[in-house]
Amino acid sequence: MLPVTAVALAVLAALLAWPVPALLARAQWPGRDPLVALVCWQAVGLAGGLSMIGALLVHGLAPWGHSLPEAAWAVVRGHVVTEPVRGDHWVALTLAGVLAFELVGVLLLSWARIVRTRRRHRELLELVVQPGPQPDARLLDHPAPVAFCIPGARPLLVLSSGMVAELDDGQLAAVVAHERAHLAEHHHLLLLPFVAWKAALPVLPAAERAHGAVRELVEMRADDVALGSLSGTSPRRTLAEAIVAAAGGAGGVPTGALAVSGAGVRARVVRLLEPAHPLPAAARWTALSGAVLLLLLPTALLLLPALG
Amino acid sequence: MASLGELERAVMDRLWAADGPVAATRLRNELADRGVALTTVHTVLTRLEQKGFVRHDDARPRRFSARASREDHAAELMHEVLGQAADRQAVLARFVGSVNDEEARLLRELLAGGSTG
Repeated sequence: MLPVTAVALAVLAALLAWPVPALLARAQWPGRDPLVALVCWQAVGLAGGLSMIGALLVHGLAPWGHSLPEAAWAVVRGHVVTEPVRGDHWVALTLAGVLAFELVGVLLLSWARIVRTRRRHRELLELVVQPGPQPDARLLDHPAPVAFCIPGARPLLVLSSGMVAELDDGQLAAVVAHERAHLAEHHHLLLLPFVAWKAALPVLPAAERAHGAVRELVEMRADDVALGSLSGTSPRRTLAEAIVAAAGGAGGVPTGALAVSGAGVRARVVRLLEPAHPLPAAARWTALSGAVLLLLLPTALLLLPALG
Repeated sequence: MASLGELERAVMDRLWAADGPVAATRLRNELADRGVALTTVHTVLTRLEQKGFVRHDDARPRRFSARASREDHAAELMHEVLGQAADRQAVLARFVGSVNDEEARLLRELLAGGSTG
C-alpha cells in the first residue's frame, strides 16, 4: 500500500511536469505582468523538483515511518523497521538520490560553465573594447548592431559600433536602459535554474517550454523597467524602434550565427506599441498567492505527519 | 599607478603595434611614462600568456608576441555573442537576437502601422 503522501506528491509532480507549464506558457496574462509571471515560473520549477524527489523519498522511506521527519528520525535512531523493506522501496530511494544528485549537480555544473564562459568573454572584451558613449557602456568595433551585458561581480555593458551607427541618441539610451535593467534585477539568476533544468531533463518538453517562456519574460521585464527611466515624448515607440533596428540590421553578422525566431521579438514590439491594460491588483495577488501555495503544498506534504 | 587590467591593454596595444616579437625590457621602456617596473611587465605578460593572448619564443632574453590580432579577438567574441548556444542568454544578456529578412520586414511593417503611444 502506497502512502497517501507519496501519491499526492506524485500527482503534483506529474501536474507540474506537463499541464501546468503548458498552460502557463500559453497564457496571455504573463505579457501584462512579466514580473509576477517570473515569480510563478520559479515556483513551478522549485515545486516540481521538490514534489518529484519528495514522492520517491516518502515512498522509499515508508517502512521506517509515515512522514519524512518521522522516518528520518527512525533511521537516525537505528529503529527497526515497522514493515518489511521491499525492492520497490530501494528502487524509489535510489531514484530519489539519483534525481536529487542530477538536479543539484547539473545546476552547479551549469553555473560553473557559465561563469567560466563569462570570464573568458570579459577577458576578451577588456582587450578589445573602448570607452563608450555612456559612462557605463563600452564600445566594440564591429559592424553588426549588437548590444549585450555580461552579468557578474564586475558587470560589463557593451554596444557595437554598428549599433551606435544605426540608432539615434534616444534609441541608444533605451537600449542601455534595457541592459541596465537586466543587470540591476539579476535576471541571469532567474534564468539559471531553467537552463539547468533543461540540461538535466532534456526529455521533458516542459523544461524546454519553461526555459523559452522565462527567456521571453525576462526581456519583457527589462523593457518595462527601461521605460520607467526613459524621458522623451514616446519612450515606448523609441524602444520598439531600437528593437526593430537591432533585430533587422544584419550588417556584418558572421556566418554560423543563427537567426532567432521572430515570434518573441514581435511579441515585445507589439506590447510596446499597443500596451495591454496592466493586470488588476486582484489578479496579481491571486497569481502571487498561487505561487506561494504551490511552494507550500509539497513542503507541507513532506514535513507534516502522513495523512493515512 | 595603473590597474593590471589597464596595463594588460597597454601591453597588448604595444604588441599589436610592433612588427615582430618584443622583449620585456622594450615594453618597460615604452611604458616608462606609467612608471612600470620590469617585474610588473613580467607579471602582466605572464597573466596574458595564461589567458592565451600572448606567447613567447625561446630566444635569450625571451621575446613576446600576440597570438592573434585585435580583429581576430573581436571576431571570436562576436561569434560567441551572436551564437545561439543553449545557455547563451544566461552567459550574457543580448538586447535582441537577429531575425531573418522576412521577419525583419514584418517587424518594420508593425512599426509603421503601430500607434505612437
